[in-house]
Amino acid sequence: MSDTTQYRVLDFDCPTCASTVERALANVDGVQHVEVHYSTGRVEIEYDDSVANPAAFAETIENQGYTPQPA
Amino acid sequence: MNKQALTQYYRKHRKAIVTATSGLLYGGGWSLGYLTSFDLASATILILATIAGGYDIAKTAYHEVTNRTLGIKTLVTLAAIGAIVIGEYWEAAAVVFLFSLGSYLEGRTMRKTRTALQELLEMTPDTATVRRDGDLQEIPAREVEEGEVVVVKPGGKIPVDGEVVDGESAVNQAPVTGESAPVHKADGDEVYAGTVNQEGALEIRTTGAGSDTTLERIIRRVEEAQEAQSPTESLIDRFAKYYTPAVIVLAIGAYAVTQNAILSLTLLVIGCPGALVIGPPVSIVSAIGNAARSGVLMKGGEHLERAGKIDLVAFDKTGTLTKGETTVADVEGFGVDDDEVLSLAATAEKKSEHHLADAIVDAARERPTTMTDGGTTVAQADDTDVRHQSVPDPDDFDVVAGKGVIAHADGHGVVVGNRALLDDRDIDVPSRIADYVREREERGETVVHVVRNGDIIGAIAMRDELREAAPGVVAALRDAGIETVMLTGDNERTAAAVAEEVGIDEYRAELLPEDKQSVIEAYQADGYVVAMVGDGINDAPSLATADVGIAMGAAGTDTAIETADMALMADDLERIPYAVTLSKATRWNVLENVGLAVLTVTVLLAGVLTSYVTLASGMLVHEASVLAVILNGMRLLRY
Repeated sequence: MSDTTQYRVLDFDCPTCASTVERALANVDGVQHVEVHYSTGRVEIEYDDSVANPAAFAETIENQGYTPQPA
Repeated sequence: MNKQALTQYYRKHRKAIVTATSGLLYGGGWSLGYLTSFDLASATILILATIAGGYDIAKTAYHEVTNRTLGIKTLVTLAAIGAIVIGEYWEAAAVVFLFSLGSYLEGRTMRKTRTALQELLEMTPDTATVRRDGDLQEIPAREVEEGEVVVVKPGGKIPVDGEVVDGESAVNQAPVTGESAPVHKADGDEVYAGTVNQEGALEIRTTGAGSDTTLERIIRRVEEAQEAQSPTESLIDRFAKYYTPAVIVLAIGAYAVTQNAILSLTLLVIGCPGALVIGPPVSIVSAIGNAARSGVLMKGGEHLERAGKIDLVAFDKTGTLTKGETTVADVEGFGVDDDEVLSLAATAEKKSEHHLADAIVDAARERPTTMTDGGTTVAQADDTDVRHQSVPDPDDFDVVAGKGVIAHADGHGVVVGNRALLDDRDIDVPSRIADYVREREERGETVVHVVRNGDIIGAIAMRDELREAAPGVVAALRDAGIETVMLTGDNERTAAAVAEEVGIDEYRAELLPEDKQSVIEAYQADGYVVAMVGDGINDAPSLATADVGIAMGAAGTDTAIETADMALMADDLERIPYAVTLSKATRWNVLENVGLAVLTVTVLLAGVLTSYVTLASGMLVHEASVLAVILNGMRLLRY
């Protein structure tokens, strides 16, 4: 089943950074659709909950050097 | 402090700590090299400074490369590595330190822009007091169910959307509508989550809670608007995609030609697409956020950029420049009793849905059953002894669009309508009646004739009061260099009188609803960028035709919010000059930011080619320009 989750990243410091995080999240197993917005810092992830582990999302964002907050 | 707390602290302030460490090492290494001859020690410390500040940047650069989103961090990393390779340790450390400092400050200031809206959400209380099983219970606000009654004490914040079922109070609706003056609320009135109950206790039947409230919907829409790219933004984005690889190719080419490593590394640094890509989104996000807090919803950057070019504002008259509450101002019988005129007209008009018909029917109902004279005594709303007249149904009736009605009632043929309808039916208008009509119309009133069996027996004059703010709004727009025009279905004389009272530049009278669209199209063909202001429901087609459609009083009417490019949550005309001038300021702000960015890169490029600018100074100017555009954009938050 498909599920959606949101995070907020307040410390993006350039538009490319948001695109990089978007690409990285898209490569996480089970992620079907992802949108990362530089202007609002909003991260929206649509994923297959039988495959994806939501804990991996926050970790991926952190690995890129940004701080995800629950939204 | 235990280890976990320390880790948490480090995580939270990682950027600041990294920047400070790199800065200290850089300062130490530089001083050592400048003051002493311990060159090796100085070099070591500067390399450490580069690694301390550069590790995170390089890591992100690695992700940029693997995700094929080449960006500024890739360029900085290449420049720093290159500088170390050619032995320019000081330059390497300076570039990394300045970049870290710059992005730390940029992240911090952008955080302010990003959280501007969240403050609105924090207005909604977390818990609600509900009446359940006869008891008052305190439960989480998002668990309140539709139909449940919530009790809000004086001074308390309203936790849900709903309808007042008991109590009376003044409610400050600023978070939703941006109006600073409190609004009186009593039985049957709608209230919104996040607004503040100022005076009496209120009991509210819930219509929406949790994420299903007007405030939540507004914020979702505003965020969507902020995320939607404006034409300028998408243009720059497309450009930026090729820009970074192009800068790398240019740097390599420059080295191949000049063999000057410093020059080509400096090109990498100043080629960073900083201010250019950051400027426009900051301006637009700040402007949309500011507007939202003042009760103006902007649909997105594209609409905002278009609104910045508005040079003509068209107002629908009824309900926009006027209060939209038409009332009967005078009834005049010619040879018959005034009351008879009104009651015959009311019967004929009873089944019509036109606002003039409503006014006539209401006036007939409100007349006391016993009339002392033929005057225009109107029953007071609080006079409970008055028995309202009932208005009988007509035998049949037909609407003639834009002209009036033709009906049969009480055995008579009845026509209620304007001069055009009378002319169509070859009904003579005696000069005494024509004089009366002219006199009322010159006061800005709308007059209908009442005809019984072919003879005019009277006339009814109706008035829709002007909003107090209307003349000031028109004047404010003129001061901003914007022309104004009023569109109305009224006849020429009435329209002229109202137009003069408002002080509007131009008016177009006797328009049918579809004519309003053609008027707007005609202005557009003349090269005007036209904004149309209306209530968003009756004039939805003209709002859609205009370059910028502005709907008023949109709180609670989702259709208006859907169709309009801008929606004023409050029914407050005074927001129009604010919204229009904010759009203009935003457009300028975007241009300023793009201009500053291009100018900076041009000056830096000239500096590099003449060897005045090297890595460190290039980075300093570059980061300063990024901060400058962010701060410039953020001015719009306080517009």
